[in-house]
Amino acid sequence: MKKRRTFWIAMLFLLPNLLGFLIFTAGPVVFSLWMSLTDWALTKHNAYSGASAQFIGLENYRRLLFGDESQLFWEYFGNTLFLMIGIPIGIAGSLALALLLNQNIGPKRARSKAGAVGVTLLVTILAVGATWLVTTPGLEPAAGAANYAAMTADSGLGNLAVWEVQKLRSGAAVTAIAVLGLIVAAGLAIGPVFFRTVFYLPSMLAGVAIFLLWKALYKPQGGLINSTLEPALGVIQNTVTSTPAALWYALGLLLWASGVVLCLWMFARGTLGLTRRDISGLSYTGLVLVVISLGAMMLGLGYLFCQLPPRSLLPSGLDILTGEQLSAIGQSLTGAFPAAGEEIRLAVLTLGDQIRPATAIEAFTTIVGDRSAVAEVVMPMTTVLHEGLTSGDGLMPPQWLIDIRWAKPALIIMGVWTAVGGGNMLLYLAGLSNIPTELYEAADIDGAGGWQRFAHVTWPQLAPTTFFIVIMSTIGGLQGGFDQARVMTEGKAGTTVLSYYLYNIAFDDQFQLGLASAIAWVMFGMIFIMTLFNYRFGSRATNL
Amino acid sequence: MSTGAKTTGSIAWRTIGFIVLVSLAVSFVVPFAWQTILSLSSNADTELVSKTGLPPAVHPENYSLMLRMIPFGKYFFNSLFVAGWITIIQVISSAMAAYAFSRMEWPGRDKVFLLYLATMMIPDVVLMVPRFAVVLGLDMYNNYAGLILPVAFSAFGTFLLRQFMLTIPKSLDEAAAIDGASHWQVFSRVILPLARPGIIVLAIFTFLFQYNSFFWPLILIKDTNLRTLPIGLLEFDTSYGQDTPKIMAASLLAMIPAALLFLALQKYLVKGIQLGAVKG
Repeated sequence: MKKRRTFWIAMLFLLPNLLGFLIFTAGPVVFSLWMSLTDWALTKHNAYSGASAQFIGLENYRRLLFGDESQLFWEYFGNTLFLMIGIPIGIAGSLALALLLNQNIGPKRARSKAGAVGVTLLVTILAVGATWLVTTPGLEPAAGAANYAAMTADSGLGNLAVWEVQKLRSGAAVTAIAVLGLIVAAGLAIGPVFFRTVFYLPSMLAGVAIFLLWKALYKPQGGLINSTLEPALGVIQNTVTSTPAALWYALGLLLWASGVVLCLWMFARGTLGLTRRDISGLSYTGLVLVVISLGAMMLGLGYLFCQLPPRSLLPSGLDILTGEQLSAIGQSLTGAFPAAGEEIRLAVLTLGDQIRPATAIEAFTTIVGDRSAVAEVVMPMTTVLHEGLTSGDGLMPPQWLIDIRWAKPALIIMGVWTAVGGGNMLLYLAGLSNIPTELYEAADIDGAGGWQRFAHVTWPQLAPTTFFIVIMSTIGGLQGGFDQARVMTEGKAGTTVLSYYLYNIAFDDQFQLGLASAIAWVMFGMIFIMTLFNYRFGSRATNL
Repeated sequence: MSTGAKTTGSIAWRTIGFIVLVSLAVSFVVPFAWQTILSLSSNADTELVSKTGLPPAVHPENYSLMLRMIPFGKYFFNSLFVAGWITIIQVISSAMAAYAFSRMEWPGRDKVFLLYLATMMIPDVVLMVPRFAVVLGLDMYNNYAGLILPVAFSAFGTFLLRQFMLTIPKSLDEAAAIDGASHWQVFSRVILPLARPGIIVLAIFTFLFQYNSFFWPLILIKDTNLRTLPIGLLEFDTSYGQDTPKIMAASLLAMIPAALLFLALQKYLVKGIQLGAVKG
């Protein structure tokens, strides 16, 4: 009888949570499945019209995957996948930050630490004072002097006189020096905790406020990013135009050829290397990833450099390959990547127990398997740069959020900035502190170097953490992206993701709840497959 | 913390590592610094500021003007009120459920718990549409109850607290039971105080997540008076066009509570994550 009593008491403890859970989670899940099989639209079926939704079977799913909605659906799915390129970059960054924070960094002893803080503060104060004293006196001419009202030539500077602009700039320099000094001092005094806090702040604040901040940063005119880029691009422009054209062409060819060699080498190792049992799947796929990114970058850069100089300036013998030919060869090579990737994946599958890297394979599939991702990033950028350098206007900074070629990279950059120091970094820090010291001692006895310590101790020991992070990030990435797209671009410039699509269908104007539920379930299916995929590879490595 | 992964490193390495960390920290601080500068300049000067670095004239009145242009205080209150209630309900209900799952023996316990865990795998998007329909049916559209209740009960919180409570020695509540304590007394006097680190972690996570929540309030609220801060900021962004300084002022103010909460409680957060970290 006591058992039964305990059961009912347990039910009382569970009641608040269970009730809410049944009404707002379990119930809706079942309800949602039914909804996805109906043509329920709030505009047609509501309390006023009295009409009730009709059961239409799998019609919603057909419309989405093959029917009249399929074109949009797959386009938005592509956008979602593209934006997920940021995930592996962010995870790698989080790991790098955690490793960096876990090192002994800065002065060793407490006394030298205090000394360093004191010196830093002193130097900062001196630098601030000196900058101010050197740059500002004498800037302001006497009223009525000839240069008093001299206006700046830059129309963007409004109606400020030259000396006023100078004064503001030295003020900004002084502020920058002071901030830098404070960061160094705080870093010396508080150490890793200070840096950890700074890195973590953006992800803690992530939300509309951060999106609005980045929207301002990305403004084509007057945004911080473009006003920093503009002078830098000017320097590039000057360097390019003042260097002999043949040099660029030679450099371009060299880069391009190295890119080809790298890719071929990767391909050769891809087919031959995996038969050697001693290559662990992980370091192997990692290698493939690095090599492919390098190769793609070299192909793109080489192509760009070959295009830089005007053709007429080239010595006649050198013009063997035109830019178009190079580009065609490059494209066909990028086309070879997925083939190589497919082969590697098959080899990996058959090797079975050798495999740890759910992560790397997935990253690989996301970045390279979708060949358009490489082509879509590299090719337009080279074209933009080429146009800027050869036409009269000069290099222009990107239009970011309003340019279809740059909006997605812009969101990816922001996403990496926000997430890199976030929860993943904390998880990695926790994972690092859980690695037994003995393993490193053993590695030291075996004479392992820094890289070997990482490859054979740190990385395998972190595998469970990585596994967890990859699964959570994949789920988050597939269903995320709504908030930023809605706030920053309103889904324009190719930034509409699946969750935004669902929002438009369900809540914005159409209120097609049935179709929207079907979208949600298709997304669930994709997430489920990806999780299963991760789990299949990851669980072998982590014994979870 | 074990020093296992650390290398002692030469002075050169220590210096290089430190420089890298400082430059990264700068890249995280600069956007916020620029945001502050923008929030203090006039709207006409925003493009100029990007070239001079500082505004020709400082306009602290942007903040007071902004507060009068949108009901910032109202939105702010709504955000704190909604996130606060969600946190309270979530922590209490999760703690009670976690107690039943970790400290009590009853038939079917582990099966029910597995069911809870399974629902954590279902993505939020699947729940949005039917939750909206349920909320319409329960007459909670466009009011506080609809903002709070549907998102206040989570399997995640139950899971997190259960893991914490499992680490508390069983002998403690057995001793209390021998002294004649009821389950409620054991829960409130013994387990709750001991599970405090876990509860704080759950509270921080829940509060900050809900404070920044965007999708749910966006679809649920039509009434201006009920808008939370994230929705309010967005309205400000569009309805006043390109008044960048005031947008920056508003978003800077919106970040303050989250930042303060995080700074005050961050040591618990890291400790809690370490306890809750996945282990192979």
